[in-house]
Amino acid sequence: MTDKQIQIFMDSLLPLLKAAVAFTIPLAIISFVLGLLVALLTALARLSSFKPLVWLAQFYVWIIRGTPLLVQLFIIFYGLPKVGIIIDPFPAAVIGFTLSVGAYGSETIRAAILSIPKGQWEACYSLGMTYWQALKRAVLPQAARVATPTLASSFISLVKDTSLAATITVTEMFQVSQQITAAQYEPLLLYSEAALIYLVISSVLSYGQARLEKHFDRYTAR
Amino acid sequence: MLEMKKLKKSFGDIEVLRDIDLRLEKGKVLVIVGPSGSGKTTLLRCINLLETPTEGEMTVGDLQLTFSPGTKLRKIDILELRQRTGMVFQSYNLFPHRTAVENVMEGLITVKKADKHESRSLAMEMLRKVGLEEKAEAYPYQLSGGQQQRVGIARAIAMDPDLLLFDEPTSALDPELVGEVLNVMKALAAEGRTMVVVTHEMKFAADVADTVVFMDNGRIVERGTPDEVFRQSANERTKAFLSRVSGTEPPVQATF
Repeated sequence: MTDKQIQIFMDSLLPLLKAAVAFTIPLAIISFVLGLLVALLTALARLSSFKPLVWLAQFYVWIIRGTPLLVQLFIIFYGLPKVGIIIDPFPAAVIGFTLSVGAYGSETIRAAILSIPKGQWEACYSLGMTYWQALKRAVLPQAARVATPTLASSFISLVKDTSLAATITVTEMFQVSQQITAAQYEPLLLYSEAALIYLVISSVLSYGQARLEKHFDRYTAR
Repeated sequence: MLEMKKLKKSFGDIEVLRDIDLRLEKGKVLVIVGPSGSGKTTLLRCINLLETPTEGEMTVGDLQLTFSPGTKLRKIDILELRQRTGMVFQSYNLFPHRTAVENVMEGLITVKKADKHESRSLAMEMLRKVGLEEKAEAYPYQLSGGQQQRVGIARAIAMDPDLLLFDEPTSALDPELVGEVLNVMKALAAEGRTMVVVTHEMKFAADVADTVVFMDNGRIVERGTPDEVFRQSANERTKAFLSRVSGTEPPVQATF
């Protein structure tokens, strides 16, 4: 690298990190938390014995999984204003990512719930617990352990997918790297720099995943 | 304490229980024996509504329930009934993510809304009863099968149920661990608890039961004191079953 390139690298580090802290990370965290909530409700709807709920959940998962996330973001941000629904860039991105996490996550959570032996429900019921008590006290805590590796992967994917929000004018980290590139014309350097920051964030999350799995392992024989 | 009248249970077209009539007085022990597939576990599971009978009547204490196809039970009745009964499972079904004492506390905290400290001291008392005080902080995977089952019993009696149900509580255990569980059950019977036990342990049945019921093909074929059923039975099916489980009948010759 030339001195000039090193200078550009150093100068752009702060704006990129700022964009990561102000947009990329909050966008990922808010969408993931809301998405998990949607995913849990969708999984429970899928497992319900009330058919209309099952159909509704299936329809939602079908639509979201069957269409590209980028197209969904475009529909929400550029498409909906045509019918009078105008949403700011950041909330539009949150909605798009939440729906995506909700659809994929619901299948993970449904599988995790189904992996818990029927005897656990029966033990709860025999003590006089309701469905919700059994779910909260016995089934979900155990299902969380099963679902952790897959949900952690979804979270890491989401962090990287937030770069798609650049296309709907959210000034997240990738958008900022594009802006600096336009001024400096150092695409290899600046996009690699952005990639490096994504890698650091993902690595922190992977570490968090390992810690969480270790926590869950306290009650299993290894 | 427990009464069943003309109780029926079908899974689809298959009749699993046919016209079960049963009475059990407070403080008595009823042992249900019979070949596998005879419906004895289903009968036990009907008592706390893990299975819903298709037709008939059931009374537990002063709670009376009538079953008929197409009518749903009230949730409140189901929960009420389950609070009055405690169940011990063949495969223990302990909560693997909770320690022994937390397993025993679970129902007290979640269902009885008891205070955490009181729950813990009551749970410790129950563990003492089954001889596992020193294992209170162990997770289920750290316990032997016999110890897990004793925690299962402690979890059930902690709720102070009127009626204790045992579903083949020793069938999953290594032979050398069966005794410790049966001893706890004998002690409970001696305390005057009302118990319904499905088991293959004929010696336990003979020692502890007030009434033995022999089931075959979804029906109660014979009932009486252990002596009447085990020694004086004239019923061919009872006799055939008993000789099979006691091993007096020559084993089936294997052909290769």
